[in-house]
Amino acid sequence: MLLDVGTLLMSSGASTGRVRTTVNRIAEALGYDVELLITSRSLMLTVTEENGTDYTSSVRRTPPHGVNFKLVSGISRLSWRVIEDKLTIEQINQDINRLTSLPHYPRLVVLSLVALAGASFCRLFGGEGLELAVTFIATFFGLFIRQEAIKKQFNPYLAIVFASFAASMIAGLSVKLGIGDSPEHALGTSVLFLIPGVPLINSLTDLIDGNTLNGIVRGVNGFIMAFAIALGLMFAMKIYGL
Amino acid sequence: MAIEILTILEKGIWFGFAALGFAVLFNVPQRALLVVWLIGAAGGLTKLLLMQFNAGIVVATFAGASLIGILSVYAAHNKHAPPLVFSIPSVVPMIPGVFAYRMMLGLIKLSGTALTSDSYFQTIAETTGNGLKTIFILLALAAGVAIPMLISRKETIKNIRHKSDSFLDTQ
Repeated sequence: MLLDVGTLLMSSGASTGRVRTTVNRIAEALGYDVELLITSRSLMLTVTEENGTDYTSSVRRTPPHGVNFKLVSGISRLSWRVIEDKLTIEQINQDINRLTSLPHYPRLVVLSLVALAGASFCRLFGGEGLELAVTFIATFFGLFIRQEAIKKQFNPYLAIVFASFAASMIAGLSVKLGIGDSPEHALGTSVLFLIPGVPLINSLTDLIDGNTLNGIVRGVNGFIMAFAIALGLMFAMKIYGL
Repeated sequence: MAIEILTILEKGIWFGFAALGFAVLFNVPQRALLVVWLIGAAGGLTKLLLMQFNAGIVVATFAGASLIGILSVYAAHNKHAPPLVFSIPSVVPMIPGVFAYRMMLGLIKLSGTALTSDSYFQTIAETTGNGLKTIFILLALAAGVAIPMLISRKETIKNIRHKSDSFLDTQ
Protein backbone atom coordinates (compact mmCIF):
# COMPACT_ATOMS: atom_id res chain seq x y z
CA MET A 1 0.00 0.00 0.00
CA LEU A 2 2.81 2.43 0.89
CA LEU A 3 4.50 1.40 -2.36
CA ASP A 4 1.31 2.32 -4.19
CA VAL A 5 1.29 5.75 -2.60
CA GLY A 6 4.95 6.38 -3.35
CA THR A 7 5.03 5.17 -6.93
CA LEU A 8 1.80 6.96 -7.81
CA LEU A 9 3.11 10.23 -6.39
CA MET A 10 6.46 9.85 -8.13
CA SER A 11 4.93 9.22 -11.53
CA SER A 12 2.30 11.94 -11.36
CA GLY A 13 4.78 14.73 -10.79
CA ALA A 14 5.60 15.11 -7.11
CA SER A 15 9.13 15.98 -6.02
CA THR A 16 11.25 13.37 -4.27
CA GLY A 17 11.02 15.20 -0.97
CA ARG A 18 7.22 15.19 -1.13
CA VAL A 19 7.11 11.45 -1.83
CA ARG A 20 9.29 10.80 1.19
CA THR A 21 7.30 13.10 3.50
CA THR A 22 3.96 11.70 2.47
CA VAL A 23 4.94 8.04 2.75
CA ASN A 24 6.57 8.68 6.13
CA ARG A 25 3.50 10.52 7.34
CA ILE A 26 1.14 7.69 6.47
CA ALA A 27 3.47 5.02 7.87
CA GLU A 28 3.91 6.86 11.14
CA ALA A 29 0.18 7.30 11.56
CA LEU A 30 -0.27 3.56 11.13
CA GLY A 31 2.45 2.87 13.67
CA TYR A 32 5.34 1.74 11.46
CA ASP A 33 8.86 2.96 10.79
CA VAL A 34 9.77 3.21 7.16
CA GLU A 35 13.02 3.74 5.25
CA LEU A 36 12.85 4.66 1.58
CA LEU A 37 15.09 4.45 -1.45
CA ILE A 38 13.55 6.61 -4.12
CA THR A 39 14.78 6.54 -7.69
CA SER A 40 13.04 7.83 -10.75
CA ARG A 41 11.99 4.42 -12.07
CA SER A 42 11.45 2.41 -8.91
CA LEU A 43 10.78 2.71 -5.22
CA MET A 44 12.20 0.49 -2.48
CA LEU A 45 11.13 0.53 1.12
CA THR A 46 11.66 -1.30 4.36
CA VAL A 47 8.86 -1.21 6.90
CA THR A 48 9.70 -1.92 10.52
CA GLU A 49 7.12 -2.35 13.24
CA GLU A 50 7.62 0.09 16.05
CA ASN A 51 8.76 -2.50 18.58
CA GLY A 52 11.50 -3.40 16.10
CA THR A 53 10.93 -7.13 15.79
CA ASP A 54 9.25 -7.53 12.41
CA TYR A 55 10.25 -5.98 9.15
CA THR A 56 9.52 -6.39 5.45
CA SER A 57 11.22 -4.98 2.36
CA SER A 58 9.76 -4.50 -1.04
CA VAL A 59 10.54 -2.92 -4.40
CA ARG A 60 8.09 -1.60 -6.95
CA ARG A 61 8.59 -0.19 -10.41
CA THR A 62 7.20 3.31 -10.97
CA PRO A 63 4.45 3.23 -13.59
CA PRO A 64 5.01 5.56 -16.55
CA HIS A 65 1.94 7.78 -16.07
CA GLY A 66 1.59 11.36 -17.15
CA VAL A 67 1.50 14.34 -14.84
CA ASN A 68 -1.64 14.25 -12.70
CA PHE A 69 -1.91 16.89 -10.01
CA LYS A 70 -5.36 15.75 -8.98
CA LEU A 71 -3.69 12.59 -7.71
CA VAL A 72 -0.85 14.43 -5.98
CA SER A 73 -3.26 16.70 -4.15
CA GLY A 74 -5.67 13.86 -3.40
CA ILE A 75 -2.97 11.70 -1.82
CA SER A 76 -1.68 14.65 0.17
CA ARG A 77 -5.15 15.20 1.66
CA LEU A 78 -5.47 11.47 2.23
CA SER A 79 -2.25 11.42 4.24
CA TRP A 80 -3.64 14.07 6.58
CA ARG A 81 -6.88 12.19 6.93
CA VAL A 82 -4.93 9.07 7.89
CA ILE A 83 -3.56 10.96 10.89
CA GLU A 84 -6.75 12.81 11.77
CA ASP A 85 -9.45 10.21 11.29
CA LYS A 86 -7.27 7.13 12.00
CA LEU A 87 -8.21 5.41 8.75
CA THR A 88 -7.56 1.69 8.52
CA ILE A 89 -5.38 0.21 5.79
CA GLU A 90 -8.48 -1.02 4.01
CA GLN A 91 -10.03 2.44 3.95
CA ILE A 92 -6.79 3.90 2.63
CA ASN A 93 -6.66 1.31 -0.15
CA GLN A 94 -10.22 2.14 -1.10
CA ASP A 95 -9.39 5.81 -1.19
CA ILE A 96 -6.36 5.24 -3.41
CA ASN A 97 -8.48 3.24 -5.81
CA ARG A 98 -11.03 6.04 -5.87
CA LEU A 99 -8.29 8.59 -6.54
CA THR A 100 -6.70 6.66 -9.39
CA SER A 101 -10.06 6.22 -11.11
CA LEU A 102 -10.95 9.92 -10.90
CA PRO A 103 -11.63 11.18 -14.41
CA HIS A 104 -9.39 13.59 -16.27
CA TYR A 105 -10.94 16.65 -17.84
CA PRO A 106 -12.91 15.91 -21.02
CA ARG A 107 -10.59 15.71 -23.99
CA LEU A 108 -12.17 18.58 -25.88
CA VAL A 109 -11.87 20.86 -22.86
CA VAL A 110 -8.20 20.01 -22.47
CA LEU A 111 -7.50 20.54 -26.17
CA SER A 112 -9.32 23.88 -26.31
CA LEU A 113 -7.85 25.30 -23.12
CA VAL A 114 -4.30 24.26 -24.00
CA ALA A 115 -4.82 25.76 -27.44
CA LEU A 116 -6.00 28.94 -25.71
CA ALA A 117 -2.82 28.82 -23.63
CA GLY A 118 -0.82 28.56 -26.87
CA ALA A 119 -2.62 31.60 -28.24
CA SER A 120 -1.87 33.43 -24.97
CA PHE A 121 1.81 32.66 -25.42
CA CYS A 122 1.65 34.11 -28.89
CA ARG A 123 0.01 37.28 -27.56
CA LEU A 124 2.62 37.59 -24.82
CA PHE A 125 5.45 37.45 -27.31
CA GLY A 126 3.86 40.15 -29.43
CA GLY A 127 1.57 38.31 -31.86
CA GLU A 128 -1.65 39.89 -33.13
CA GLY A 129 -5.10 38.64 -34.14
CA LEU A 130 -4.28 36.31 -37.02
CA GLU A 131 -1.18 34.82 -35.44
CA LEU A 132 -3.21 34.06 -32.33
CA ALA A 133 -5.67 32.08 -34.44
CA VAL A 134 -2.84 30.21 -36.20
CA THR A 135 -1.21 29.31 -32.88
CA PHE A 136 -4.56 28.18 -31.51
CA ILE A 137 -5.08 25.76 -34.39
CA ALA A 138 -1.48 24.56 -34.42
CA THR A 139 -1.49 23.86 -30.68
CA PHE A 140 -4.87 22.14 -30.88
CA PHE A 141 -3.68 19.68 -33.51
CA GLY A 142 -0.22 19.30 -32.00
CA LEU A 143 -1.67 18.22 -28.68
CA PHE A 144 -4.18 15.98 -30.42
CA ILE A 145 -1.32 14.21 -32.23
CA ARG A 146 0.61 13.83 -28.99
CA GLN A 147 -2.37 12.28 -27.20
CA GLU A 148 -2.92 9.89 -30.09
CA ALA A 149 0.76 8.91 -30.20
CA ILE A 150 0.78 8.24 -26.46
CA LYS A 151 -2.40 6.18 -26.80
CA LYS A 152 -0.71 4.09 -29.50
CA GLN A 153 2.18 3.60 -27.04
CA PHE A 154 4.91 5.27 -28.97
CA ASN A 155 8.02 6.24 -27.08
CA PRO A 156 7.06 9.42 -25.15
CA TYR A 157 9.92 11.41 -26.64
CA LEU A 158 8.90 10.34 -30.12
CA ALA A 159 5.36 11.47 -29.33
CA ILE A 160 6.77 14.92 -28.56
CA VAL A 161 8.69 14.96 -31.84
CA PHE A 162 5.47 14.11 -33.72
CA ALA A 163 3.49 16.78 -31.88
CA SER A 164 6.12 19.45 -32.34
CA PHE A 165 6.41 18.53 -36.02
CA ALA A 166 2.64 18.71 -36.55
CA ALA A 167 2.28 22.02 -34.72
CA SER A 168 5.16 23.68 -36.53
CA MET A 169 4.00 22.34 -39.90
CA ILE A 170 0.69 24.16 -39.37
CA ALA A 171 2.29 27.32 -38.02
CA GLY A 172 5.02 27.14 -40.66
CA LEU A 173 2.38 27.19 -43.37
CA SER A 174 1.33 30.64 -42.19
CA VAL A 175 4.94 31.83 -42.40
CA LYS A 176 5.23 30.41 -45.90
CA LEU A 177 1.99 32.06 -47.03
CA GLY A 178 2.75 35.28 -45.15
CA ILE A 179 -0.44 35.34 -43.09
CA GLY A 180 -0.45 38.15 -40.53
CA ASP A 181 2.24 40.74 -39.80
CA SER A 182 4.76 38.63 -37.92
CA PRO A 183 3.96 34.95 -38.55
CA GLU A 184 7.28 33.80 -37.07
CA HIS A 185 5.77 34.52 -33.64
CA ALA A 186 3.17 31.89 -34.41
CA LEU A 187 5.86 29.38 -35.40
CA GLY A 188 7.95 30.07 -32.31
CA THR A 189 5.07 29.82 -29.87
CA SER A 190 3.14 26.97 -31.45
CA VAL A 191 5.40 24.34 -29.86
CA LEU A 192 5.51 25.92 -26.40
CA PHE A 193 2.70 23.74 -25.04
CA LEU A 194 5.17 20.84 -25.10
CA ILE A 195 7.62 22.51 -22.71
CA PRO A 196 8.75 20.06 -19.99
CA GLY A 197 7.88 22.42 -17.15
CA VAL A 198 7.21 19.78 -14.53
CA PRO A 199 10.47 17.81 -14.98
CA LEU A 200 12.60 20.95 -15.09
CA ILE A 201 11.10 22.55 -11.98
CA ASN A 202 10.97 19.28 -10.04
CA SER A 203 14.56 18.72 -11.08
CA LEU A 204 15.67 21.93 -9.41
CA THR A 205 13.49 21.30 -6.36
CA ASP A 206 15.13 17.89 -5.97
CA LEU A 207 18.62 19.32 -6.44
CA ILE A 208 18.06 22.01 -3.81
CA ASP A 209 16.57 19.39 -1.50
CA GLY A 210 19.72 17.29 -1.73
CA ASN A 211 18.16 14.54 -3.85
CA THR A 212 20.92 15.14 -6.36
CA LEU A 213 20.60 11.93 -8.32
CA ASN A 214 16.85 12.25 -8.90
CA GLY A 215 17.35 15.91 -9.72
CA ILE A 216 19.88 15.06 -12.41
CA VAL A 217 17.70 12.30 -13.83
CA ARG A 218 14.73 14.64 -14.09
CA GLY A 219 16.85 17.40 -15.56
CA VAL A 220 18.24 15.11 -18.24
CA ASN A 221 14.71 13.90 -18.92
CA GLY A 222 13.57 17.50 -19.37
CA PHE A 223 16.44 18.27 -21.72
CA ILE A 224 15.69 15.27 -23.91
CA MET A 225 12.10 16.49 -24.13
CA ALA A 226 13.30 19.97 -25.10
CA PHE A 227 15.56 18.39 -27.68
CA ALA A 228 12.63 16.38 -29.04
CA ILE A 229 10.64 19.61 -29.46
CA ALA A 230 13.54 21.18 -31.32
CA LEU A 231 13.91 18.13 -33.54
CA GLY A 232 10.29 18.25 -34.66
CA LEU A 233 10.55 21.99 -35.22
CA MET A 234 13.71 21.52 -37.26
CA PHE A 235 12.14 18.91 -39.54
CA ALA A 236 9.23 21.24 -40.29
CA MET A 237 11.52 24.19 -40.95
CA LYS A 238 13.75 22.18 -43.25
CA ILE A 239 10.69 21.04 -45.20
CA TYR A 240 9.48 24.61 -45.65
CA GLY A 241 13.04 25.75 -46.31
CA LEU A 242 12.88 28.53 -43.73
CA MET B 1 1.82 55.81 -19.98
CA ALA B 2 -1.85 55.00 -19.49
CA ILE B 3 -1.80 52.90 -22.64
CA GLU B 4 1.30 51.08 -21.48
CA ILE B 5 -0.41 50.18 -18.24
CA LEU B 6 -3.42 48.92 -20.14
CA THR B 7 -1.21 46.76 -22.37
CA ILE B 8 0.51 45.30 -19.33
CA LEU B 9 -2.82 44.53 -17.67
CA GLU B 10 -4.05 42.91 -20.86
CA LYS B 11 -0.94 40.75 -21.03
CA GLY B 12 -1.50 39.79 -17.41
CA ILE B 13 -4.86 38.34 -18.43
CA TRP B 14 -3.14 36.29 -21.13
CA PHE B 15 -0.61 35.04 -18.61
CA GLY B 16 -3.55 33.81 -16.59
CA PHE B 17 -5.03 31.94 -19.55
CA ALA B 18 -1.70 30.35 -20.40
CA ALA B 19 -1.43 29.15 -16.79
CA LEU B 20 -5.00 27.85 -16.93
CA GLY B 21 -4.29 25.82 -20.06
CA PHE B 22 -1.36 24.07 -18.41
CA ALA B 23 -3.35 23.54 -15.24
CA VAL B 24 -5.93 21.60 -17.24
CA LEU B 25 -3.20 19.68 -19.07
CA PHE B 26 -1.74 18.64 -15.70
CA ASN B 27 -5.19 17.71 -14.38
CA VAL B 28 -5.27 20.22 -11.54
CA PRO B 29 -8.42 19.79 -9.38
CA GLN B 30 -11.34 21.99 -10.40
CA ARG B 31 -11.48 23.94 -7.14
CA ALA B 32 -7.92 25.19 -7.77
CA LEU B 33 -8.32 26.38 -11.37
CA LEU B 34 -9.45 29.95 -10.61
CA VAL B 35 -6.62 30.35 -8.12
CA VAL B 36 -4.11 29.16 -10.72
CA TRP B 37 -5.44 31.76 -13.14
CA LEU B 38 -5.06 34.52 -10.54
CA ILE B 39 -1.59 33.44 -9.43
CA GLY B 40 -0.38 33.10 -13.02
CA ALA B 41 -1.66 36.57 -13.86
CA ALA B 42 -0.13 38.08 -10.70
CA GLY B 43 3.28 36.54 -11.41
CA GLY B 44 3.18 37.65 -15.04
CA LEU B 45 2.18 41.20 -14.08
CA THR B 46 5.05 41.42 -11.60
CA LYS B 47 7.50 40.37 -14.28
CA LEU B 48 6.14 42.82 -16.85
CA LEU B 49 6.03 45.73 -14.39
CA LEU B 50 9.62 45.17 -13.32
CA MET B 51 10.70 44.98 -16.92
CA GLN B 52 8.88 48.27 -17.50
CA PHE B 53 11.19 49.78 -14.88
CA ASN B 54 14.25 48.41 -16.68
CA ALA B 55 15.03 45.54 -14.36
CA GLY B 56 16.69 42.82 -16.45
CA ILE B 57 14.52 39.97 -17.67
CA VAL B 58 16.28 37.50 -15.37
CA VAL B 59 15.67 39.58 -12.24
CA ALA B 60 12.10 40.31 -13.28
CA THR B 61 11.45 36.62 -13.87
CA PHE B 62 12.94 35.73 -10.52
CA ALA B 63 10.68 38.25 -8.78
CA GLY B 64 7.60 37.00 -10.62
CA ALA B 65 8.43 33.38 -9.85
CA SER B 66 9.06 34.17 -6.18
CA LEU B 67 5.68 35.87 -5.92
CA ILE B 68 4.12 32.80 -7.51
CA GLY B 69 5.93 30.58 -5.03
CA ILE B 70 4.76 32.60 -2.03
CA LEU B 71 1.16 32.89 -3.25
CA SER B 72 1.12 29.14 -3.96
CA VAL B 73 2.07 28.38 -0.40
CA TYR B 74 -0.82 30.55 0.83
CA ALA B 75 -3.19 29.01 -1.69
CA ALA B 76 -2.08 25.58 -0.54
CA HIS B 77 -3.12 26.45 3.00
CA ASN B 78 -6.53 27.62 1.87
CA LYS B 79 -7.39 25.04 -0.74
CA HIS B 80 -5.81 21.99 0.90
CA ALA B 81 -3.58 21.00 -2.01
CA PRO B 82 0.23 20.86 -2.21
CA PRO B 83 1.83 24.14 -3.33
CA LEU B 84 3.28 22.65 -6.51
CA VAL B 85 -0.24 22.13 -7.83
CA PHE B 86 -0.54 25.91 -8.04
CA SER B 87 3.01 26.98 -8.74
CA ILE B 88 4.01 24.78 -11.67
CA PRO B 89 1.16 25.69 -14.07
CA SER B 90 1.60 29.36 -13.11
CA VAL B 91 5.30 29.58 -13.94
CA VAL B 92 5.20 27.63 -17.18
CA PRO B 93 3.99 30.73 -19.15
CA MET B 94 7.17 32.52 -18.07
CA ILE B 95 9.42 29.89 -19.62
CA PRO B 96 11.59 31.68 -22.20
CA GLY B 97 10.26 29.88 -25.25
CA VAL B 98 11.22 32.51 -27.76
CA PHE B 99 14.84 32.71 -26.60
CA ALA B 100 15.11 28.94 -26.69
CA TYR B 101 13.57 28.99 -30.15
CA ARG B 102 16.05 31.60 -31.40
CA MET B 103 18.95 29.68 -29.90
CA MET B 104 17.76 26.57 -31.69
CA LEU B 105 17.51 28.48 -34.96
CA GLY B 106 21.04 29.76 -34.41
CA LEU B 107 22.38 26.26 -33.77
CA ILE B 108 20.72 24.95 -36.90
CA LYS B 109 22.18 27.84 -38.86
CA LEU B 110 25.65 27.29 -37.39
CA SER B 111 25.66 23.65 -38.34
CA GLY B 112 25.01 24.67 -41.93
CA THR B 113 27.33 27.66 -42.51
CA ALA B 114 31.01 27.51 -43.34
CA LEU B 115 33.49 28.62 -40.69
CA THR B 116 34.98 31.19 -43.02
CA SER B 117 31.74 32.97 -43.87
CA ASP B 118 31.27 36.50 -42.52
CA SER B 119 28.07 35.85 -40.63
CA TYR B 120 29.51 32.91 -38.67
CA PHE B 121 30.79 34.83 -35.68
CA GLN B 122 27.79 37.08 -35.50
CA THR B 123 25.58 34.00 -35.42
CA ILE B 124 27.74 32.52 -32.66
CA ALA B 125 27.40 35.70 -30.61
CA GLU B 126 23.62 35.85 -31.04
CA THR B 127 23.18 32.14 -30.32
CA THR B 128 25.32 32.29 -27.19
CA GLY B 129 23.39 35.32 -25.96
CA ASN B 130 20.01 33.69 -26.51
CA GLY B 131 21.18 30.41 -25.00
CA LEU B 132 22.54 32.06 -21.87
CA LYS B 133 19.33 34.04 -21.44
CA THR B 134 17.33 30.83 -21.75
CA ILE B 135 19.39 29.03 -19.14
CA PHE B 136 19.46 31.88 -16.64
CA ILE B 137 15.74 32.59 -16.95
CA LEU B 138 15.02 28.90 -16.39
CA LEU B 139 17.24 28.86 -13.31
CA ALA B 140 15.58 32.03 -12.00
CA LEU B 141 12.15 30.47 -12.52
CA ALA B 142 12.93 27.23 -10.77
CA ALA B 143 14.79 28.88 -7.91
CA GLY B 144 12.09 31.51 -7.46
CA VAL B 145 9.41 28.87 -7.14
CA ALA B 146 11.39 26.38 -5.10
CA ILE B 147 12.74 28.68 -2.40
CA PRO B 148 9.37 29.78 -0.89
CA MET B 149 8.28 26.14 -0.86
CA LEU B 150 11.44 25.04 0.94
CA ILE B 151 11.13 27.83 3.50
CA SER B 152 7.48 27.07 4.15
CA ARG B 153 8.15 23.36 4.52
CA LYS B 154 10.26 24.09 7.59
CA GLU B 155 7.33 26.01 9.03
CA THR B 156 5.04 23.10 8.35
CA ILE B 157 7.24 20.79 10.34
CA LYS B 158 7.22 23.25 13.23
CA ASN B 159 3.45 23.39 13.09
CA ILE B 160 3.25 19.62 13.24
CA ARG B 161 5.43 19.50 16.32
CA HIS B 162 3.91 22.33 18.27
CA LYS B 163 0.31 22.57 17.17
CA SER B 164 -0.64 19.04 16.41
CA ASP B 165 -4.34 19.87 16.59
CA SER B 166 -4.39 21.98 13.42
CA PHE B 167 -3.14 19.62 10.72
CA LEU B 168 -5.41 20.81 8.00
CA ASP B 169 -4.31 24.41 8.39
CA THR B 170 -0.76 23.54 7.55
CA GLN B 171 -1.20 21.94 4.18
